[in-house]
Amino acid sequence: MRSRVVVTGLGIVSPIGIGVSDFWKAALAGQSGISAITSFDPFPMDGYRSKVAGQVRDFAIERFSDSAHGERVDRYAQFALVAAKEALADSGLQMAKENPHRVGVIVGAGMGGMVMGEREITQLYQQQKPHRVHPNFIPVITLNSASGIIAMAYGAKGPNLTISTACSSSAHALGQALHCIREGRADVVITVGADASITPLVFAGFCSLRALSCKFNDHPEKASRPFDRLRDGFIMGEGAGTLILESAAHAKKRKARVYAEIAGYAATSEAYHMVIPREDGLEVAHTMRLALRDAGVTPAQVDYINAHATSTTIGDAVEVRAIRRLFKSRADKITISATKSLIGHTLGAAGAIGGIVSVLALHTGQVHPTANYDDPDPACALAGLSRSAQERPVKVALLNAFGFGSNNAAVVFKQAGRER
Amino acid sequence: MAPDPTISLKIRTALAEYLKRDPATVMTTQHLRDDLGLDSMAVIELLYRIEEVFNLQIPDQDLVGLTTVGHVVRYVEKRVGKPAKQSKPKSQKKS
Repeated sequence: MRSRVVVTGLGIVSPIGIGVSDFWKAALAGQSGISAITSFDPFPMDGYRSKVAGQVRDFAIERFSDSAHGERVDRYAQFALVAAKEALADSGLQMAKENPHRVGVIVGAGMGGMVMGEREITQLYQQQKPHRVHPNFIPVITLNSASGIIAMAYGAKGPNLTISTACSSSAHALGQALHCIREGRADVVITVGADASITPLVFAGFCSLRALSCKFNDHPEKASRPFDRLRDGFIMGEGAGTLILESAAHAKKRKARVYAEIAGYAATSEAYHMVIPREDGLEVAHTMRLALRDAGVTPAQVDYINAHATSTTIGDAVEVRAIRRLFKSRADKITISATKSLIGHTLGAAGAIGGIVSVLALHTGQVHPTANYDDPDPACALAGLSRSAQERPVKVALLNAFGFGSNNAAVVFKQAGRER
Repeated sequence: MAPDPTISLKIRTALAEYLKRDPATVMTTQHLRDDLGLDSMAVIELLYRIEEVFNLQIPDQDLVGLTTVGHVVRYVEKRVGKPAKQSKPKSQKKS
């Protein structure tokens, strides 16, 4: 029998709170983390069509980590380091008592070290002084800087991987960590999603792609509105989420508190288009079905979905079509929430943050509101969506994440402890 | 040409800022790796900073001789005042 895998620690850096306790309180209150972009200053915002984002405020690495490693990495990896620190402390795992080769790190990141990346590229082109490119430029922009730095900070010598599949990166990180433990290659995997690329160039790129909301620049808290009739694009966010995954046997041996079981995962490609999903939702439905099968549960057992729901016109409608296709008449009985309505789309961090929300729904029986779901779009109305927080026992939760490159992921979490 | 005392101070200050310590505790006799704990990457970062402070370019072949604070001070004293350009490689030196 393959080994069961459980979640024993959580950590988060988000636009509505640094730390799980603050984040969850704000999420249940439906607090918005979306505001006018200030971080480009003195670069003017005038030329941007969209002017709002979910920014992590007042973040300085030295306030959260005394690790010397944090100073040499970019903002996204600093977020990852802080979220990993909280999750490890939360799990009670003591590295000194672990076999370091049995503790792995798997990070999902979509964009990586763009803060320094953009600065150095700009300076090089403006000043034409190649010798003034910072010596740390390459190590910082290399996409596995976060997974590397976390391993160094905690002495984790097991499998160390970075997965980059745009917006589904850390849902795949969760899935790959699940496989890694199931296959017996590690007892524990520090599983992270992180991105921090609200930078002048990346933001301009998403604007040019016509992917971002532009109609709510004067009311930032209204801009991210998944499934609502007035939605007009996603809102960029930034942050990191960490989940400590370990084999159930290992968790039991060290008497760890178990939040939930991570029970299933599926990865597929639509092999269709770089940025547009198949409108019939067939492939998304197929991905969810595969993940449920992997978890050994039926669609009838699912009672919560953390939707990908980025607030784009096409994406939200396709996801609902897929949910209806798979769950049929039961689709309206499932509680659903869209975390991006509160914090925007944190890209590579979105899967891990959605995973944390799913685990908390299982653990606490609470589901956060979907903000700005004021006027349900008939094309994507679901009865289980609510502008208010909902309380109900959740036994099986499904997490969806889709990424540019025709990439789909689904992860299944189950309530822990019943059969133990 | 008499050594410029401000060069030594500027270098020790840059080093102290990098190491987050009091400039007075940085001595010219100290070895960058053995006494100050700088690994090879940290030495490269420090020299990047010194290049900026003195508007210099330090060619790769000169790095090998810069192992103590004093070496760096004397090297910069020699170079300062000259145009910031690549010095000619010594023909007999192996790369």
